[in-house]
Amino acid sequence: MQLKLEKKLQPSKIMLFATPILAVLLTMVLGAIIFSLLGYDGLGAVREIFLTPILNSLKWQDLAVKAAPLIIIGIGLSIGFRANVWNIGAEGQYIVGGLAATGVALLTHEMSGWWLLPLMAIAGMAGGMAWVFIPALLRTKLKVSEILTTLMLTYVAVQLLNFLIFGPWKSPTSYGQPQTVLFNDFQILPYIIKGTIVQAGAPIAVLIALIAWVLMSKSVFGFQVKTVGSAPNAARYGGFSENKTIWITLLIGGSLAGLAGMLEVAGPFNRMVPQFPTGYGFTAIIVAFLGRLHPIGVLVAGIVLAITFVGGEVAQTTIGLPNAAVGLFQAMMLFLLLAGDVLVRYNIKRVRRAS
Amino acid sequence: MKLINRRNALKIGGAAAMLPLIGSNAFAKKDKVKAAFVLIGTPDDNGWNYGHDLGRQEMITALGADRVETTVVTNVAEGPDSERVFRELAQQGHDIIFGTSFGYGDAMLKVAKQFPDVKFEWATGYKTAPNLSIYNARFHEGRSVLGTIAGMMSKTGIGAYIGSFPIPEVVMGINAFHLAARKANPDFITKVVYIDSWNDPAKESDAARALVDQGVDVITQHTDGPAALQVAEERGIIGGFGQGADMSAFAPNAHLTSIIDIWSPYYIKAVKSLLDGNWKEGGSWEGLAGGEVVIGDYNSKVPANVIAAAEAVKAGIIDGSVHPFAGPITDNKGTLRVEAGDVIDDGEFWAVDWYAEGVEA
Repeated sequence: MQLKLEKKLQPSKIMLFATPILAVLLTMVLGAIIFSLLGYDGLGAVREIFLTPILNSLKWQDLAVKAAPLIIIGIGLSIGFRANVWNIGAEGQYIVGGLAATGVALLTHEMSGWWLLPLMAIAGMAGGMAWVFIPALLRTKLKVSEILTTLMLTYVAVQLLNFLIFGPWKSPTSYGQPQTVLFNDFQILPYIIKGTIVQAGAPIAVLIALIAWVLMSKSVFGFQVKTVGSAPNAARYGGFSENKTIWITLLIGGSLAGLAGMLEVAGPFNRMVPQFPTGYGFTAIIVAFLGRLHPIGVLVAGIVLAITFVGGEVAQTTIGLPNAAVGLFQAMMLFLLLAGDVLVRYNIKRVRRAS
Repeated sequence: MKLINRRNALKIGGAAAMLPLIGSNAFAKKDKVKAAFVLIGTPDDNGWNYGHDLGRQEMITALGADRVETTVVTNVAEGPDSERVFRELAQQGHDIIFGTSFGYGDAMLKVAKQFPDVKFEWATGYKTAPNLSIYNARFHEGRSVLGTIAGMMSKTGIGAYIGSFPIPEVVMGINAFHLAARKANPDFITKVVYIDSWNDPAKESDAARALVDQGVDVITQHTDGPAALQVAEERGIIGGFGQGADMSAFAPNAHLTSIIDIWSPYYIKAVKSLLDGNWKEGGSWEGLAGGEVVIGDYNSKVPANVIAAAEAVKAGIIDGSVHPFAGPITDNKGTLRVEAGDVIDDGEFWAVDWYAEGVEA
């Protein structure tokens, strides 16, 4: 006997909406069971990871700081994923965006003025775009899979970072340690809420989500992206250029990842350090899917993932949960979501093998 | 907050102690201290993090569990992610927080400003604040002892040094090792490979294998774990050394000796000063003499004359008659860097970005 997946003609609209929520809830239940079996306080783990960050107002600022880059990168990725363009190397674009912004900051270190931050933001976006330029060219001219090229360029970006930090950009006043000088006051994002650590990244993330929402649901471009992704033949028949869609979606993804890099380096980091790559570019892939590739969904998913990060640290300090537990919860969430998707979109049928 | 070097850090600490009391609770005694340790890895790395955790345990034993309570947070990434952890620990009412990696510095300085009543201790750091002290160990002194053994025991005259990142601590460890080896064997060569990580056993092993293939018969490493030593064991070369802790269990034949980081004296001192109400801003940089850097047991295959030479170097560093960086030192590009009769002192230490003659990096 075999099992066979058969595509449903009309997957339930309610279930499509409900699966991400169910996936999160199921993750909590399974997580509690697994960690109880492992000898930890399972219910406590779920409480600290998922509820403390929401209930404790001191943690809200941390959520905003952690969610902003995830949302910004996740939105860029989700637009590409809609068009079946698989940029999984946002981490590299994020790094190069941060480096480009750092380069501008170092060149203008003696200057002051309101225009420094916008200039750094433009540099960051340009850096991110430059890093997807190569995969876009290879994909459209030579049909080289962007999955490979974007991922591999991430490692090149890390080497570029190390080269600059250990070499020409090394600060003369940090005891030989690999880091740049601190940015000046005009190169660091201002705090937008007094007394917190929330900088401009958070409102920019919300703004980008809203713009993307309008763009994807109301514009011809949004329609084009969705058509190329879901019905390539129809798109071609309708006169939508596949190559043009690949170029635009990759450039959007790269520029947003680069912008996130600039906001990080000019925000929480205040200088470039070897620890700059923190995996936001990879986590944003989970965010994009958990958010159903919808801008508002990505916004919510970014906050959910931020909750698990912040909560994971709380759980580590209060109930001694190992750090790896956070990764486990996040992976479980993605797995349950994808599994749920299969069940919503397909019927499982038993097939008797002809003997 | 001021930029200081480690030499005048102590002076500043001393001066601060003479200042009039700033807050009434500055010198208040405590019945019990809640201490937190932030680690970049996990204590089971058998190296760096293990050493800090061992120091923590010995500190509890020494002061008594009724006087100190500890929280350990593992796998904390350097950078802004660590800022949340430090803030969380401060909010939970910890009295003193130890950050055991260089990359926590910016975050610790920020959080220290927000929590003036909490004391912060930054391992391998370079900047202090009224409630933030720095502490480090002179690991390079131990490297001089290892270099002596390597220079005398190596048959091929080629040693290897697997480094994490080219930061001063590592660069100076390489120079100390190599200069000592050259005293025993003037043609000694040290091949350096950086693996861009503090803990990546696969990369460490790959590097070690490649180096052994190039004729290296003594390996040392400045990473957190024993992977390179295990390769030395597997390939049957003369040997290697434990770093941070005794690693003989991983390579009973190849493990010649080890540099052991002993953090407990500092941890006991720091927490005790908080209990006694006389904690103060300062910098600590002890080595072989202060008992923070200890040379482990020698393997039975190390000849008696080598042990004697190693012990002589150790004793010389402790009593000050031997300096790990005594001139003349020429770098590997032929420039004379340290004149005969001169040494690289503690202030100059952090600016060295070159390798001694015979280092292939």
